[in-house]
Amino acid sequence: MTIQSEYLKERRDQEWRAELRNKLKGKERTNLPRVHMPEESPEERVKHQNLEVNTGLSKEQALVEASRCMDCANPTCIEGCPVQINIPEFIKNIEREEFALAAKTLKQTNALPAVCGRVCPQEKQCESKCFYLTKLKKEPVAIGYLERFAADWEQNSGIMDIPECAPKNGKKVATVGSGPSSLSFAGDMIKLGYEVTVFEALHEIGGVLKYGIPEFRLPNKKVDIELDVLKKMGVKFETNFIVGRTASFDQLKEEGYEGFFVGSGAGLPRFMNIPGENNNGILSSNEYLTRVNLMGANNDKNDTLVLKGKNVAVIGGGNTAMDSVRTAKRLGAERAIIVYRRSRVEMPARVEEVKHADEEGIEFMNLANPLEYFADEAGRVNKMRVQMMELGEPDSSGRRRPVPIEGSETDIDVDLVIVAVGVSPNPLIPACLPDLTVSRWGTIEVNDNMQSSIPVLFAGGDIVRGGATVILAMGDGRNAAKSMHEYLMTINK
Amino acid sequence: MANLTTHFFGLDLKSPVIIGSAGLSNSVEKIRLLAENGAGAVVLKSVFEEEIYNEYQSEIEKQSVAHHNLEHLDYFDYEIKNDRVKKYLELIQGVKSAGIDIPLVASINCTSGSDWVFFAKKLEEAGADALELNLFVLPSDFDRSADQIHDYYFKTINKVIEASNIPVSIKLSPYFSDLARMIKELSETKLVGITLFNRFYNVDIDIDNKELVPAKILSHPFEYLQSLRWIGIMSGRVKCDLAASTGVHDYETAIKLIMAGASAVQVVSGIYKHGYDFVKELVVGIAKWMDENNIESIPQLIGSANTEGIKNPEMYERVQFMKYFGEFDKAID
Repeated sequence: MTIQSEYLKERRDQEWRAELRNKLKGKERTNLPRVHMPEESPEERVKHQNLEVNTGLSKEQALVEASRCMDCANPTCIEGCPVQINIPEFIKNIEREEFALAAKTLKQTNALPAVCGRVCPQEKQCESKCFYLTKLKKEPVAIGYLERFAADWEQNSGIMDIPECAPKNGKKVATVGSGPSSLSFAGDMIKLGYEVTVFEALHEIGGVLKYGIPEFRLPNKKVDIELDVLKKMGVKFETNFIVGRTASFDQLKEEGYEGFFVGSGAGLPRFMNIPGENNNGILSSNEYLTRVNLMGANNDKNDTLVLKGKNVAVIGGGNTAMDSVRTAKRLGAERAIIVYRRSRVEMPARVEEVKHADEEGIEFMNLANPLEYFADEAGRVNKMRVQMMELGEPDSSGRRRPVPIEGSETDIDVDLVIVAVGVSPNPLIPACLPDLTVSRWGTIEVNDNMQSSIPVLFAGGDIVRGGATVILAMGDGRNAAKSMHEYLMTINK
Repeated sequence: MANLTTHFFGLDLKSPVIIGSAGLSNSVEKIRLLAENGAGAVVLKSVFEEEIYNEYQSEIEKQSVAHHNLEHLDYFDYEIKNDRVKKYLELIQGVKSAGIDIPLVASINCTSGSDWVFFAKKLEEAGADALELNLFVLPSDFDRSADQIHDYYFKTINKVIEASNIPVSIKLSPYFSDLARMIKELSETKLVGITLFNRFYNVDIDIDNKELVPAKILSHPFEYLQSLRWIGIMSGRVKCDLAASTGVHDYETAIKLIMAGASAVQVVSGIYKHGYDFVKELVVGIAKWMDENNIESIPQLIGSANTEGIKNPEMYERVQFMKYFGEFDKAID
């Protein structure tokens, strides 16, 4: 039995959990239907960029949903969680109405539960391993909804539990970037007694959580409350600080930093490089969403502007594409269209995001791929040529491959195009560290311990994976913290 | 010394020896060596759409296990495509900025019409002097008629020509039931040159292990005969330049092919077998032979043995061995 499973068994054997398990029969639990997440109406929500679509479970809903959880002896759901939350324990705490303890359980391994409860793809992670799904072929326990409930309850209570930290060990470490991997790393290292500074190039902390995800999906205030907990734990934040420019790694070492975690993300937008893509009115989803999410460009009173279109096409089928197209709708687009080269089934976006987009009147032009853009005399895009596709044999991802249909080209009127076909790693850190090994695609190469070719430098998240989900990035941060701690303890013996 | 300049790919070339599309020319230094040895032009290694797709597949396999994030990989084929184009760009710019004076011809092999155009435009932007279409449909599809295949060829070629501002030529396969007519009709498009013939990857059988294996990769010296026949037949009857490819292993073969009507010859296997000096051997050999035979320029030589220039042109179209075999039989009796 591993230490983790011994620990989980010990927790499960607590008297209160045993009593709770006996409170309801198995059938009584499994016969309960999965709860539905309440939402703002589509008509109302499309009027507001900052109105959250999912409104969160009521206490009553959360109690019923928590009672569905069987508190399994072998909690496979935890295997699906990159940060190893003790899922049954937090859910059972909800069931017995100990919401503060539920939140505390979440924060033992997750620095950002209110964020993860909103944006994690639980259907592909913890919920995909749930007993209900794997054994009963029923809808899994809504772990994500419950996570959000517990985290929000604590935030709304006004009393935030501040996790305990070990006495200071006199060592300083730094993170480069303040996205989910860095914050997760910082949360674990501060608990271990390190002095932790988070260096952020922008004026706001949060990385992709702030500039990438719209407030209708993740309100900034929710992120800020979780950041505040980290601050209260002692994590220092330096904004407008570009490591490699404002100060070099050597300078930071001279200031006493012994270890670095690079979580500088993938901030470099990718384009398709097709003809006409340089026309005015064609921009990356990074730029579009950053202008709106971080700079408030949706508000005309702010200095930062963003192009607004009547006929907006968003290229791509992922969550970023959904965020962009739904933002365009909220900014007044008459037609906001997803142009995606496969069918809806193959879209990488979360099913929930596609459903919300659909409800909000987003048009889906599936099995279509842009070939070329055209512009008016002023150089502003006014038309795009798309080629229709059909689905061929499955590729290595298991999804059917898009195959062009010759002669199927068609033109559609557009006045704004947002390209959401992925991002590339931020090149700044590799560029200023010649000894750092990077892949052909610019990602930092790390070993299983998240350690790079420079031993004091660890890395995780998008800068390592190219593109990761929030929770995978956070898992990287936790792994890196554990490994860096072991490394620094070893070399200092 | 004889003047070796010729014209192919819509370009003036310093010699009729063209380096065919292969890994031989994948660096600035290798291209410098080829140019110094007298090559007239270099066809860069083909951009294969299929290769890009295979690489995309392998990236998905490699990365998706660690990522569980298809969003990142969904359009990764464009990343690979653009990386290929970037490498082409770096190579072409490297050659030009190193002052190496040799035309660089980009070669592309795609399956979908849109990608032919995408790469044609991108490689032109990268600075290629001309394009060579490595266009071939293996006629193994039971549902695809000859007319459909012809149609695909002409539609693709016309699309690329329409999208390109640099000269476009094609390296053709011999597998057409109406080859002469096909070559003639292709020459009537805006193609500036046709190279006969493309040599393909073939499979063989390993009888011990009972498995398919790659057949010999490099050409054999006698393989030039097919190109010789068809260039001889078509020379003087087409509206664009012809070049010969496959089986050029010595300067004599190069001369024969030019006499049949080729404006230039493409070589690859000979260089793999004999090294980069082989290019010089060919160039010097051709020049020496021309000097010895009082031929001052390549255009004088081109087509001097085609159907119009030779005593017994009917030989080009003779395909049966009747008399030849008769004599062979006597010898064995």
